[in-house]
Amino acid sequence: MIVDAQSVSRIFKMPAGPVVAVRDVTLQIHDGDHVAIRGPSGCGKSTLLHMLGCVDAPTSGSLLFAGQDVARLSDAKRSLLRLKQIGFVFQRFFLLPMLTASENVELPLSEAGVGKTERRTRVSELLDYVGLTARADHRPSQLSGGEMQRVAIARALANKPQLLLADEPTGELDVATGEQIAMLLNRVNADGTALVIVTHDQALAGRARRLLTMRDGAIDHEATT
Amino acid sequence: MKALRFAARSLVRQPARAALGVLGVAAVGALLLDMLMLSNGLVVSMRDLLDRYGWDIRVAGGDLPLQGPRIRHASTTADTIANLPSVRAALLFRIADARIDRPNVGPLTAQLVGVEVRSAPGRGVVRTSPPWTIVSGRDIGSAAGDVVINQPLASASHIAPGSILTMRVSCVAEREALPPTTLHVTGLAEFPFSGVNEYVVGGTLGTLKTACGGNVVDEVDLLLVTSTGDADGAAAAIRAAGLGVNAMTNDEVVGRFQQAGFSYFRQISSVLTAVTVSFAVLLITVLLTVSVNQRLGEIAALRALGLSRSRVVKDVLSESVLIVGTGGLLSLPLGWLLAAGLDNILKAMPGVPAELHFFVLEREALAVHLALLVLTALLAAAYPMRIVSTLPIAATLRDEVIG
Repeated sequence: MIVDAQSVSRIFKMPAGPVVAVRDVTLQIHDGDHVAIRGPSGCGKSTLLHMLGCVDAPTSGSLLFAGQDVARLSDAKRSLLRLKQIGFVFQRFFLLPMLTASENVELPLSEAGVGKTERRTRVSELLDYVGLTARADHRPSQLSGGEMQRVAIARALANKPQLLLADEPTGELDVATGEQIAMLLNRVNADGTALVIVTHDQALAGRARRLLTMRDGAIDHEATT
Repeated sequence: MKALRFAARSLVRQPARAALGVLGVAAVGALLLDMLMLSNGLVVSMRDLLDRYGWDIRVAGGDLPLQGPRIRHASTTADTIANLPSVRAALLFRIADARIDRPNVGPLTAQLVGVEVRSAPGRGVVRTSPPWTIVSGRDIGSAAGDVVINQPLASASHIAPGSILTMRVSCVAEREALPPTTLHVTGLAEFPFSGVNEYVVGGTLGTLKTACGGNVVDEVDLLLVTSTGDADGAAAAIRAAGLGVNAMTNDEVVGRFQQAGFSYFRQISSVLTAVTVSFAVLLITVLLTVSVNQRLGEIAALRALGLSRSRVVKDVLSESVLIVGTGGLLSLPLGWLLAAGLDNILKAMPGVPAELHFFVLEREALAVHLALLVLTALLAAAYPMRIVSTLPIAATLRDEVIG
């Protein structure tokens, strides 16, 4: 099991009073899982995803990642955990504009201390995997939205994470390009990486084996295909 | 990718911002360097002038050289001093006012400096330098009427080495109607304590007395003394000799000048240095803070991808170091040029010796300049570093999507 969340809640303290973003969620993510989370805006999907990805901590409940209690980890250890075991794909890609596609993919490898030769090989493999070998030396501004998202996926896979988290990965793309990204994410999952996607996209959600629907911070129901 | 290289790429990404920061630091750094050069420049320069010809003690009638009454019974006093065991030689130094008539143009007002060396008879030939430096031609010999003149006088009177100089000289306070004296110019010389536009003639004390028509009492403005090695001991011996004169080592002269006014330069430059550094810190802080705030989403994403807090903090610090470092390097030639220009303006003030410099670059000033730039980089990066180190990753990513 990669993630074991038991009764996790996330409450934000706001000037007008506390806001419960995630309420008493119990959820397990297993190796190779393909999970889609959907629900109306503001229902807590992204907050839950952030907790699963160890960038946010639950206010109550317990969350174990690969058997480690995330709440007890220092910031540095959580960073290391994210670096080596979790990949993130964002709606807005967040590629660094001053770096080329290959340098963007190389960044997490460099941060993880991977040697130069191995880094170059891995970057080459990843760009080939997402079909962007020919665009390796292009900067984000020279890439289309779909290409940028593919670079972002390659970057997220750089350190061979156990779990890939994607927050509205097709949110900024047209239908055809979104379909290509959906197929790529399916392939990533088929190759063994657990995948959790937060999405409004019915087609993307429909590809998942587990479909969680959230409402008012809680999982309303779970469907399995 | 190392933090410094990463920071360099970030700066190149926003060239206008980077250029603004670098140029700002270069300008501020140049001013900072000038303030540091000014803070101690006069003292260093004055010491250099005093030490230049090997005379390590000044003997005057007042508290400071050339600022009090003349030394009376100068010959006896000089001989007494020269015979002290700790003294190698003494030089009588007398200044007289002079007027040089020029055909078809107005006369020039000049100074005639007369010098004469005294040393104890048993010490053989004592080699000493007159208080000037020959630029062209030759120095004065023993012949009466030989003089050297400075370049401004040579230019103004169209006189070159080998020419005859005719001047009227007065050795008393009141102007006299003396007959003109004819002098033989042997060379051009630099007089370290003369002003930029002052006209100076140097010769022997005998030449000066002759030029004054014999109307001169046994007085000098200053005695320059060379010790046998222990200037403090020699100065103490002169004071103990009860000659009614004030003997000061060059260190003491510099110290008195500092008390008399040089310290104001240091105080002013300290205040301006503090203001300059504050300005640089504010400039870089604003630039980095704006840059960081524009990239919060990116930084949060990098943190989500596993880049450590220390890494993103290091990136910001590296940007600050690069901006301040590049600007600091540019500030050195810029500061040097600015100092040279300001020095020329200040030296044009009346009464300021041409060889005296207000801005002097010392190793210590460079070290302080470097230290202050490092401090600037650190202080300027402190606030933006705090922003990225305390950045809430999830909330920032959420805000970016909503935004």
